[in-house]
Formats: sequence, C-alpha cells, structure tokens
Amino acid sequence: MSQPPILSFHFKRATRGFDLDVSAECGSGITALFGPSGSGKSTTLNCVAGMLRPDQGEIALNGRTLFSSTGKVDLPPEKRRVGYVFQDGALFPHMTALDNIRYGFERTPESARRISPDEAIALLRLGPLLERRPAQLSGGEKQRVALARALAASPELLLLDEPMASLDSALRGVVTVYLRRIKRDLGIPMLYVSHSITEVLALADRALLIKDGRITAFDRPSRLLLETAAGFFHEAGAADNLLDGVVSSIDGRGSGRVRVGGAEFVAPVGARQPGDAVVLSIGAAEIILATNRPEGLSARNVLPARLAELDIKDGHAFARAEIGVSPSDTQLIVELTEGAVSDLGLSPGQDIYLVFKSSSVAVLDAEER
Amino acid sequence: MPSALSIVLLTLKISAAAMLIVIPLGMVVAWTLVRKRVHGRFWIEVLISLPLALTPVVIGFALLSVLGRNSTMGRFTHEIFGWDIAFTWVAAALASAVVAFPLSVRAFMVAFAGVDTRAELAARTLGAGPWRVFFTITLPMAYPGLLAGALLGFARALSEFGATIVVAGNIPGETQTLSLAIFNRISTGDDAAAMPLIVVTVVLAAISIAIHNHLLTRAVRLEANRSQREARG
Repeated sequence: MSQPPILSFHFKRATRGFDLDVSAECGSGITALFGPSGSGKSTTLNCVAGMLRPDQGEIALNGRTLFSSTGKVDLPPEKRRVGYVFQDGALFPHMTALDNIRYGFERTPESARRISPDEAIALLRLGPLLERRPAQLSGGEKQRVALARALAASPELLLLDEPMASLDSALRGVVTVYLRRIKRDLGIPMLYVSHSITEVLALADRALLIKDGRITAFDRPSRLLLETAAGFFHEAGAADNLLDGVVSSIDGRGSGRVRVGGAEFVAPVGARQPGDAVVLSIGAAEIILATNRPEGLSARNVLPARLAELDIKDGHAFARAEIGVSPSDTQLIVELTEGAVSDLGLSPGQDIYLVFKSSSVAVLDAEER
Repeated sequence: MPSALSIVLLTLKISAAAMLIVIPLGMVVAWTLVRKRVHGRFWIEVLISLPLALTPVVIGFALLSVLGRNSTMGRFTHEIFGWDIAFTWVAAALASAVVAFPLSVRAFMVAFAGVDTRAELAARTLGAGPWRVFFTITLPMAYPGLLAGALLGFARALSEFGATIVVAGNIPGETQTLSLAIFNRISTGDDAAAMPLIVVTVVLAAISIAIHNHLLTRAVRLEANRSQREARG
C-alpha cells in the first residue's frame, strides 16, 4: 500500500469451534470485507469497534492504539472515534430522526467536530424527515438517518455491517449513491462488510476476503470474482454492475437513454423524465464481448470499450472493460468462459465492444420516491 | 381508632417506601442478570423468585430474626441509635419490599431483554459511556415495561398481610395497613366498619392493575414491532 494505512490490525480471537486470526490494513476510500456468513466478518468489525475483545493482537487507527494485548490498551467504544452502521440502522426508537443525528454530535468534543448535523442532513437529503420517529421511516430512510447519525460524530473510520442486506434492490441503488457521495465529499475511510459481490464491485476500492477466520487482501475488488468463482460466490448469485447515471432522453414508449460518465446506455427508464438520477444494474453474465463492431443486431447497446484486465481461473473468466473517454470514468465487469477468451484471442489493452439488450439493464431510482 | 383516610395514607406511605427499595435494587439486579454473564445465575434467579412461592408468614419470621431485638442487627440498631426496626412502619415497608421484589424484578428483566442491544452499542460508538447509554437509551426504551413492573410490585405491596403482621405487628397508626385493619374489623365482627376499607382496597388494586395492563400492552406492541422489523431484516 503506497499511503500509510489509516487502520491496521492483527488479532486473534477464539470461541467455541471457531478461531479468528486476522490481519489487514485499510487506507482511504472504501475497503470491502467480503465473505460468506459465519466467516468472521462481523466479529472482526466488532473487535475494531471495541464491542468485542480480541484474545491478543493490536488495532491502530491513524497512529492511535485502540487495542494492544501487550501494551494493555483497550479503549472503550466511546473513545475510539469509530462510527458503526448496523444492518437495519439500529436507530433510537424513542427519538426523532434529528435527535438521533444529534446524539453523537453532542458527545463529540468540539475540537474533533468536522462534520455538523446540518452537513450530514444535507448530504443524505434528510431535511423533510427530521421530525419523524424511526417507526415512521422506510428501510432506506432509516439507513440514511443511521449514516447521518454516524457521520455527525465525525468518526475517523466508518464501519458498515451489511447496511443494505435488509433493503430491496431499488433501495440498494439509493443507498449506493449516498455511500459514494460520503466517500467523495467527506473522505471518511470505510470498512464495509458485505456478502454481496455486486455491492463490493459497486463501492469498494479494495477488498479483503475473509474465509474461515483468515483474511486475504486484494488491491482490486474485481479480483474477488476469481477467488470466489470456484467457491461460495456462485451460491450468492451472479455479480451485477451498478452504475450512476442521469436520464438524457426518453422515447415516450418506456425506453430512453441514460448518460453514464462519457457513455450513453439505452435502458427501460419507464415513466422517468430527462434529468432524473438513476442507478443502472447490469448483470456481468448478460454482457456479450465482441472484438469487432457487430452489425444487424437487435441488441440496443453496443459500446466501444477497452479491455483493461482479464482474469481466468477454472474455466471462468472475468473481463474488466473501461468505457467512455480516456481516462475512463466507468468500468464494467463481464463474465465469460475461458473457451471464449481463447477463441477470440482476447488480451488486455485490446479495443472491444460490449453488447447487451436494453432489457438486460435494470433501472433503479437514485433518490427515494 | 384511626380514620379510614389515615389508614389509606399509611398504606400508601409503606408501599411507596417499599418501592423506593424495590425499584433501584430491582433494576440493578434485573439489568445485571439480563446483560452480564453471572456465575450461578440459575440459583440466583431461584432465590429472587423464592418469595413468590413461600408463605409470607415465613418471610415475616425470617425478617424478624434479622431485625428483632434478639438479633445481631436488631441489637446493633437498638444500642447505637436507640431505635428498633421491628414493629415499626419501616419493618412493614421492608416486608412489603421483599414480597414485591420478585414480581418487579421479573417484569424488569423482560423489559430490559426487549431493548435492542445494537441501539446501545450504536450509542457507545457515538461517544456515550455506559452510564449515559443506560440513562439515555436503555431506560427510555424499557420504560413502559419498567413502569409496569413497578406498578405490579406496588399493587402487591398494597395488599401485603402475612409478612407484615409477623415482623411489624398490627399497631393502629403505626403499622396497621389496609389489609391489617380489615382483618381486625372482620375478626371483631364489625363488617360494617370493614366495608369502606374493602372498597378502597379493591379500587386501589383495580387502578394499579389497569395501568399495569395498559402499559404492558404498549410494551408488547413495541416488542411486536421490533420482531416484525427483525423478521423482515
């Protein structure tokens, strides 16, 4: 890792029948902690937050020791300056959304306050919801309040424990957009627990794969596809590409064009209007890769791209394709077979075309309706 | 003979004093049993619930052997402070407290167990220490159940008879609560004098239980909402 790590940890924790022995470093941006259930994801997160105590090891955040078995340091959670967002938000049911958000801010020393409740509220567009109680909020709204509550305490690190696991796919699109916004505008490093490869691909800058209580680090989240192709990944379902876009034109028959960075996609936009922010979801297996521009196809999307990377393992192949102008702002993961790779003579750096039907694109709202 | 009003006031005073012991002590015990790993939890819970199954006469006798003038503690308070606890309203309050304790503690435990521990943990990561979390998160979230438990204990303290008569006697104006006064009047054949006290007793009990039940349905509704959310999640 080129920059010094923001969070570094190595620790062991043994419980009946399961021993966790993890070590990793996280820099800025979003680090995904990816693995099947029961692999030790949440335990690792809870040790970093100070809710569980490792048997031995060390945890340091920005040069500050949070835990050290040799140095006899074990800061309580309230002294760690680590934010935590739970699966369903875990909001305080007896307080309004605003009081939830102010709870952490009021307990943050003035010198450590970098994000105000107002900023967090504006970033997550919570203005109209502030007087509501958690029981009056939808799942996605709760998750946004939980994010704002954690942010308003100006944490040095944000831990997210499957924050989208209880949301449907449309709301996942919304929360994805907000998480990207937090990363872009606030620069708070995040450690993001997930068992969804789609979320990891959409959000993470790096990935930690945790399996049977051990961690392997990957510089590129797309590398996970290979690791998991042989194992648990296929149980979890196929990978989707999630892209931020804006509706640019509609044809009045439910179809329309969506601008994503420097490229334009044809997608079923439904009743949405030009200017609406959307998230496009495209399955990695739905995309066809061609070496020449295909002619006479019914597929509405034919995008020139550059094959940035190609990973092959056990008959499976994943191509990382960059689209739009260079330097590319958008990338798509394409799943294909090893046979197709050798038949087409694919190699990294090559110009290619990505082909997919507009009906293969699911359009999600980027704002909650 | 003291007026009916003064008997009612004395009964309320003794029951309220009992709850001043039961509520803080009961909450500490209930919270510890629900949230902490406790060695010998099983037998501690048996001990706490024991007064439910014991005849109050035995509880009164046990209290008397601790507080009476022939006991170590009784001698101590008598010689140092010149003060006897046995056969005073304080002894009546202690008797009520012991009898009410298991009812309240069991309700408190249910109330604390219904509080989402993740909300408490979230509050910790937001900078609140354990005490602040207890007062700003745990207590408000458990409050309907806690209040219901306190009322159940209070209702039991109001109706206490057996332990009180053994350790506090039946002294008009000092330890004679509603139930003891009713007992006195019935045993002397003065049913007419007993009747107003019986009416007051029934009304007080009905009010306490009605509020208790109202709070409990609220607590159950909160709990149902929570499990529904969890089932969806």
